Amino acid sequence: MLWLTLSPAFPDDRSPSSPETWAALACWAGRFTPRVTLQPAAQALSMEIAGSLRLFGGLPSLLQQVRSDLALQDLRFNLALASTPRASLWLARAGDGSVCIDRAGTLTALQTLPLDVLQPTPEVMLRLSSFGLRRLGDVLALPRAALATRLGKAFVLDLARALGEIDDPPRWFVFPDHFSHRIELPAPVEIAPVLLFAARRLIVTLTGWLAARNAAARELTWRIEHGRTEFTELSLRFSAPVHSVARIERVLKERLERLVLPAAALSLTLLVEHTELREARSGGLFDGVSGGVSGDGEGNREALAELLDRFTARLGEGALQRLTSHADHRPECATRRLVAQAKIDNSAVLSAFPRPLWLLNKPQALKERNGRPQHRGELTLLAGPERIEAGWWDSNENESDVRRDYFIALDAAQRWCWIFRQQENSSGWFIHGWFA
Amino acid sequence: MNSALAAVLARPDIWRGDAIAVSPAPTFSSGFAELDAELPGGGWPRGHLTELLYEHSGIGEVSLLLPALARLTAAGGVVVLIAPAESASSDYGLPHAPAWAAAGVRLDHVYWVAPQKTRDCLWATVEALRGGAVSTTLLWMGRTTSLTANNVRRLQAAAHEGAASAFLYRPARDAEQSSPAPLRLRLAAQGDALQVDVLKRRGMPLRHSLRLTITRPASLRRVTHAVADTLPRVPGRPLTVVA
Repeated sequence: MLWLTLSPAFPDDRSPSSPETWAALACWAGRFTPRVTLQPAAQALSMEIAGSLRLFGGLPSLLQQVRSDLALQDLRFNLALASTPRASLWLARAGDGSVCIDRAGTLTALQTLPLDVLQPTPEVMLRLSSFGLRRLGDVLALPRAALATRLGKAFVLDLARALGEIDDPPRWFVFPDHFSHRIELPAPVEIAPVLLFAARRLIVTLTGWLAARNAAARELTWRIEHGRTEFTELSLRFSAPVHSVARIERVLKERLERLVLPAAALSLTLLVEHTELREARSGGLFDGVSGGVSGDGEGNREALAELLDRFTARLGEGALQRLTSHADHRPECATRRLVAQAKIDNSAVLSAFPRPLWLLNKPQALKERNGRPQHRGELTLLAGPERIEAGWWDSNENESDVRRDYFIALDAAQRWCWIFRQQENSSGWFIHGWFA
Repeated sequence: MNSALAAVLARPDIWRGDAIAVSPAPTFSSGFAELDAELPGGGWPRGHLTELLYEHSGIGEVSLLLPALARLTAAGGVVVLIAPAESASSDYGLPHAPAWAAAGVRLDHVYWVAPQKTRDCLWATVEALRGGAVSTTLLWMGRTTSLTANNVRRLQAAAHEGAASAFLYRPARDAEQSSPAPLRLRLAAQGDALQVDVLKRRGMPLRHSLRLTITRPASLRRVTHAVADTLPRVPGRPLTVVA
């Protein structure tokens, strides 16, 4: 067992104060291990990281990640590692940045600690100093039974727990089922993109929570609060479940750049209702470090999903479409436009007759001279007719109840177009597409 | 020729001015043998921007790319089509899926992006190109919008970064403007064929035009006005196609 404990470096207004902020910190810690324990009374968070070292590519890179995440959240903590949670807590309080990876190292590091990091009761503290004991090493050198009679049993038990002589069962933090965290902005924010800095903290917290639950989210709801009741809601939907800080951040950035705030923002909340189980992906057996792109196909698919998410975030939902052909003889219905996430079926039966690559949204009426259709001069008909009868059964609009004779025609500029003549009521020529 | 000179000429980064440059960048076949023969590296370049200058839509400017797109999508490559929403709806319309599918393009690998603003078209193209997840982008700019050389340079840089191929459809009048794109072709209709003039390529300029036999929906020789005039104006059974 290897315990990493975080203790506020300077207990001030920036260090976590409320149970909610401690819970948010625990969620973030889930990024490194699901074995997290909170000690709000002791103002500390501990995590058991022995099982996570390989995943992060060794202790130094894990610690580096922890430090950079803390810097991102603008938090200042002292870190210490030891073989028991209590020892790592004491070492963290001392603030020397001790890294003891085994029991022997822990024991050595504990020797020089000043006694106040144990935070004993005032009377125990008074007694210890009256004995002339200043360092923890001085205390550990004394017979334990004598200490118990003079300083009380609790104090001696604590020592034994710190040394790993007796069990110190931790109370594991239970990761909540839904994610909902709120942060107050240090100052009112008028321009939406500025929110990204604050949002980053919430994203880091969220990804920790997701990692601890081995989950990924498809939809995030951001609530930008302007006052007690007024807020702007921003919903981010992803084409594939996401769990990485960078990906969420990039999509959010595009959305915030388009957003105009109706009033200054005072606080920000991130809510996630539903999560999906993350796709299993084992790291390499021999490479030691995982987390890289596992294969070309996988990495490519992720990169594409990210690109599409950014398209919809910046350009709006309707701007990105997928096309699929639909077995319908009416040209207007033969192309289906679907959202980016849709599954595309390639198997639709196609018409045996040529179809134009571009189809106009609405057929445009053509001028006529002597009954001949004109488009920058007279059109030459090359092939046709292909009669297409509209599905009157499909809709009750008059417009769709038509019979059309389609022709392939060439205009004076040698452009190939698809034109038709309506047979019913007002006959006339229309252009409907281009053989581009 | 002495051996030292021969050794220098054998280097891949040295090309002689009288030959087409051997493109160091990978290429993919256009599907037209006579065009491939004139393109540096023997096909459309990957990692570079190719400009296609044309006067009007409907001359076969898209059909020129269809064989390559069919092959790319069949191999799993992703194709992104980008055009401003407004000009797409007023100028030439929207891609008609059955026609693209009939040409062999796998639609499940195709994305259609139609931003409202021209600026966003450029943004989307740059992002698609440089991410590395997309193999080809086709960008149509509205007939009224002219790109500056700087815009074109950004597209070329993005294609280079993502090793993707980019095709830019531009109005023919932009041919006079200098461009950072290494390959520029002018397209014109010539009956049922497509005339291609290579305005710019790496290496020797090409002095003659190419005449490519592209897929056309009908043959040229049939004039069916007579048929059209004799069509029954009353409801009837579907007719058969003449050509």
